[in-house]
Amino acid sequence: MDLTFSPADEAFRLTARKWLADNVPADRAPYEGQASRDFALAWLARCNEGGWAGIAWPEAYGGRGLPPERLVIWYEEYVRSRAPSVLDCTFVALNHAGPTLIACGNEEQKAFHLPRILSGNSVWCQGFSEPGSGSDLASLSTTAVIDGDELVVNGQKIWTSYADIADYQELLVRTEKGSKRHQGLSWVICDMKAPGITVRPIRNMAGVSHFAEVFYDDVRIPLTNVVGALNDGWRVAMTTLGFERKTAAIGLQLELSVRVEDLILLAQAQPGSAMAERLAELRAETAALRAMTYRTLFRQPATTFDGSLVRLRFAELSQAIHQIAMDILGPDGLVDSHWTHDYLEAYSETIAGGTAEIQRNIIAERILGLPRE
Amino acid sequence: MACDLNQNDEQRQILDAATALLEESFPVSRSLGDDQERIDKLAEFGAFALALDDDLGGTGFTLVEEVLLHVRFGRHIVPAGALAAPVAARIAAELGDNDLAREIATGQIAVSAGILAGDRLRTLDDTKAKLALVFDRRRLELVEIANADGETATGLGQGAELTEFPFVATTRIGASNSASILNVADLLVSAQLLGIAEAARDLAVSYAGMRRQFGKPIGAFQAIKHHCANMAISAEMLSAQLDMAAIAQRDSRDDAAFQTAAARLLAPRVALANARLCIQVHGGIGFSAEADAHRFLKQAHLLRQLGGGAAMLDLASPMAPHR
Repeated sequence: MDLTFSPADEAFRLTARKWLADNVPADRAPYEGQASRDFALAWLARCNEGGWAGIAWPEAYGGRGLPPERLVIWYEEYVRSRAPSVLDCTFVALNHAGPTLIACGNEEQKAFHLPRILSGNSVWCQGFSEPGSGSDLASLSTTAVIDGDELVVNGQKIWTSYADIADYQELLVRTEKGSKRHQGLSWVICDMKAPGITVRPIRNMAGVSHFAEVFYDDVRIPLTNVVGALNDGWRVAMTTLGFERKTAAIGLQLELSVRVEDLILLAQAQPGSAMAERLAELRAETAALRAMTYRTLFRQPATTFDGSLVRLRFAELSQAIHQIAMDILGPDGLVDSHWTHDYLEAYSETIAGGTAEIQRNIIAERILGLPRE
Repeated sequence: MACDLNQNDEQRQILDAATALLEESFPVSRSLGDDQERIDKLAEFGAFALALDDDLGGTGFTLVEEVLLHVRFGRHIVPAGALAAPVAARIAAELGDNDLAREIATGQIAVSAGILAGDRLRTLDDTKAKLALVFDRRRLELVEIANADGETATGLGQGAELTEFPFVATTRIGASNSASILNVADLLVSAQLLGIAEAARDLAVSYAGMRRQFGKPIGAFQAIKHHCANMAISAEMLSAQLDMAAIAQRDSRDDAAFQTAAARLLAPRVALANARLCIQVHGGIGFSAEADAHRFLKQAHLLRQLGGGAAMLDLASPMAPHR
């Protein structure tokens, strides 16, 4: 077992650190709307000019194809430089839609979309969840019927992050009438400006609107926008699950290490006090989350579900850190600040992308081998 | 040399060999009593000399393998003397007494693990060890107890044997507050606590898959599943941190003290939490002395008394922000 970075890796670290010091914007990212889109795309375009966009993407598609050693170095330097959160409106394109197109798209789809994504010229959103299909995604019912060389889509999606400012959507629809569960679904590229799409933003408990309901009323999508085979959408949607864990999720997990350092400074806890003990524990847990992140990068997983362990640990640790922030702030926590905002936003961590309860079921059944219900 | 956190063939081989020995000599269900014969077998195996310098009987392995070995020790509730010996050998070598270091490493001289309780030395076993390694916060001291008058007592609901000595009656050999030796001690304690956490998880999962109520295995119920999942998450968290810390200490990295302190701080919490859940998942039988669940809890209480106490908030984080 080794964690040895080569001299070339260390030089890469210094290059990344220098570039970030010179280029990270001084302002915080806006929380919502067109301003958040403009900010995120400008930052991505800047990263792209510096050669830092799509660093995990293959070189053939404009990325740098960096090995995991370089990825972890980049994201460590990224969060230590206080660069904008990776979880902005470019996240889906860079970490899900783009990699899915790379894995399953045809040459035309790739040639059109991938350069637009990397250069900061298109925003993607994800149309998976529905009002009746949250944790149980495979029960989704938005339908698409073939009419000539088009699909005609009817139904509704919900919790679609950045739908109001997105250009495209990775849309999962039921293309086979009467099909059940994972069968008969297709993964299609949906132009968010197509007639028949209505986006209704949802204000979340942090008081901002970065996700939305999306309604589809006879929306016509060319059949050439189907990615992978028709009715094979579930497999297409799942191809990138592994990829997702090896990219920007690293940045999110490592960012907590910086957050906890900020918290320690904020608290100015008396040595030996209960708060100092609590902070020491959080600091240790955050160090361990980083160690778990290293494991996902540098160790063969025992099962394909191992990612659930670190995903859930991250979610609960993020909530714990922000809860302590509110304890430290006391009455000042009532006034809106980035701490208060992030505290409220953190409630989504144990819900989005599979609730903590579902993750625990997966861990118990798929990793520990306990019987299914 | 790059980044690789997989165990290699050599590591798997020594761990497999150790497990075979532990399954034979240290079944978790064993009655209290003289463990010295069993510990001698570990010494014969080379467990205490594993990562020492060649002239002290080392076999070319490193601290990383030694830490992995102690995880296995933890799973089998090996007495704390097996943890004291390799640390005591390092202290003897630091004091310049290589003969003593070799005798400890080869098991010719037995060492108990002890803590200070007021003016008394309390060892965590009833062995007739000649020496005791005293864990005194951020300081370790090697003393001779062979001629001190020890009084045995049971502890933890007759689940542990302890021996008490007037500390003044022991013969002081020497002390160490070397950061490196303290880190090694903290890593080995953390490793054994991880072993407890893993074994408690595995025992709970195995019981939940077997025990039936309401017509199905209790492990099919989400309440039980989620206890087991929590045990898996905690063990994974500690295990990842322990690897990170062991590598940092072996390679003398700048963050070795930080990583070790993090592992040592988490280890007792994780071990105790998993042991508690293991008892709970067992239901009634888990509360009995007959089942093994309580043994993990008690060993965790013993081990957590050894070392620790590094000032976690005073150590520099390797992830400190640049601005």
